[in-house]
Amino acid sequence: MDGIRVGKRVIGAQAPVTLGWENIPKVEGGPVKRFVFTWFQPTILFALIAFWYYAPNSIAKASTAIGIGIGFKVLLLGLEWVNPRFDSWRLTWKELVTDLFYVGLGYTLLRIVDSYIGSDVMVKSIQHYFHSDKFTWFMGLPLLVQAFLISFIFDFGQYWMHRGMHNWYPLWLPHSVHHYITQLNINKGAVGNPVELFLIGLGIGGFFDFLPRAFLLSGAFGMAIGTYQHINVRFNSPRWWRFLFNTTEHHSLHHSQDYEASRSNYAGSYIFIDRIFGTCIDGEAELLGMEGGRRMSIREQMTYPFTEAWKALRERFGRPVAAPLAVPAE
Amino acid sequence: MNLRFIDWIWHVRGSLKLAPGQSCDEAFDRLDPLFQQTGTSHERTNGTLVFRKKDQAAQDKMSVFDRGVLRIEKGAAGSVLRYHLTSRALLFCFLAPLLFLGIAQFTMAVVKPDKPSTEAAGQSGKASNASNKDAAKKADVPMNPIDKALGAPAPEKPGKDATDGPGKRGKKPSPTPAYVFAGLFAILYVVGRILEDRLIKALFRKRLLGSVSPASPLIA
Repeated sequence: MDGIRVGKRVIGAQAPVTLGWENIPKVEGGPVKRFVFTWFQPTILFALIAFWYYAPNSIAKASTAIGIGIGFKVLLLGLEWVNPRFDSWRLTWKELVTDLFYVGLGYTLLRIVDSYIGSDVMVKSIQHYFHSDKFTWFMGLPLLVQAFLISFIFDFGQYWMHRGMHNWYPLWLPHSVHHYITQLNINKGAVGNPVELFLIGLGIGGFFDFLPRAFLLSGAFGMAIGTYQHINVRFNSPRWWRFLFNTTEHHSLHHSQDYEASRSNYAGSYIFIDRIFGTCIDGEAELLGMEGGRRMSIREQMTYPFTEAWKALRERFGRPVAAPLAVPAE
Repeated sequence: MNLRFIDWIWHVRGSLKLAPGQSCDEAFDRLDPLFQQTGTSHERTNGTLVFRKKDQAAQDKMSVFDRGVLRIEKGAAGSVLRYHLTSRALLFCFLAPLLFLGIAQFTMAVVKPDKPSTEAAGQSGKASNASNKDAAKKADVPMNPIDKALGAPAPEKPGKDATDGPGKRGKKPSPTPAYVFAGLFAILYVVGRILEDRLIKALFRKRLLGSVSPASPLIA
């Protein structure tokens, strides 16, 4: 495989990837199907913005957002069934069980940990020092600007955390487990070692929760854009959408078996952050994962960062083992 | 205790009649592509096939199973394929509700409900007085004229309805999600135990009796 030169890098030398929007397949089927899968993403985004913008205060609450989030995921599972991007990414019973196990951990154990030593604690202490009076100027901005800034600040932090994970071995170890997924499905974003899920959840995303409506709007941005990172649905995303926002195409390249391709498209929602810092590659990949697409068991996903860290430490600091003396052949 | 009474949880057994005149080798040749998958090893000896799978691919048609024995027995009415397959995924899914019930108990043990003592009540009274003062001070939450013109509802005064605000701070983790996931996995187990049993039988039948040639590859 020769690969294709993109800037200073050669992409696709180790595993097949498709580069350039003109080479990516379009939605196949009748005019209704093509219409639906072209306009689905912008329609949902603008509908959610309108909902959170105009919903009365009695409805604009976290419980409503959680309900919408769950309903949206169920809808997307249906879309995966109707219009898969790749048949080789079809959801099986075993994949669903595995993914839901991680989703379950996120809703239970990780939430407890977060409430004691994670983001919740960080945000609480920061809010303690920054009295919300200091943010009056921010609260005077138009709601949508507030919401965009909140989600952008969060995504900007996520970009650097994610890029750090791909460039610094101690952070890579917990993140590497997530890169052993071999297909993209709607709940695959939750799959990974709990240490990584804790780290990626760290941040001051909830810092602005004293601005309820703007905070909920920013959550809607994340849901209506970031959710498509891990999904097995073929969309004809509009040109402006894929220029601004992260798409399944971008994220499939990030999960590609090709090493260089995987070192791209780090942002969660706003791919223009990658464009600014020169890490964006437009394209897609079908063959995903590490070690040629080896699927890791849950048990290994739980222990891998620790066993690998132990190996690395032993290599670095352990006593050199005396090489056995060569026995001459008779 | 005889494990056979409970091993149906993660063991799948079944049998299929072979086509009249189908030999043992011919039957295993037809099933062979199923055992040529990544991470699969198998041995064939005298009408018995034993296989093992490790890190099986997600799209492997037998990915749910980790090992198994397939045996062809000759009887008066013709040959029969009997299979006995083992699945750690089924066992895991069966045990997952227990894990999440445990997590629910753990949540309740760790996150204890607030017990307001008189002192704490006094403090909280002071705190609430302070927050009332704060709220009064911050009564006017600014609203941009653009939002006013577009008809967005006026923002609520801070401090109101703190229990269901967007932020999670101050809201303690609840055992409810753990109970929900325990229920989900219980349903998934029942679905999986029935579905995977049927799927594997249909797969063997298709390979053995269908029009597929022995060498035809598996279509994912």
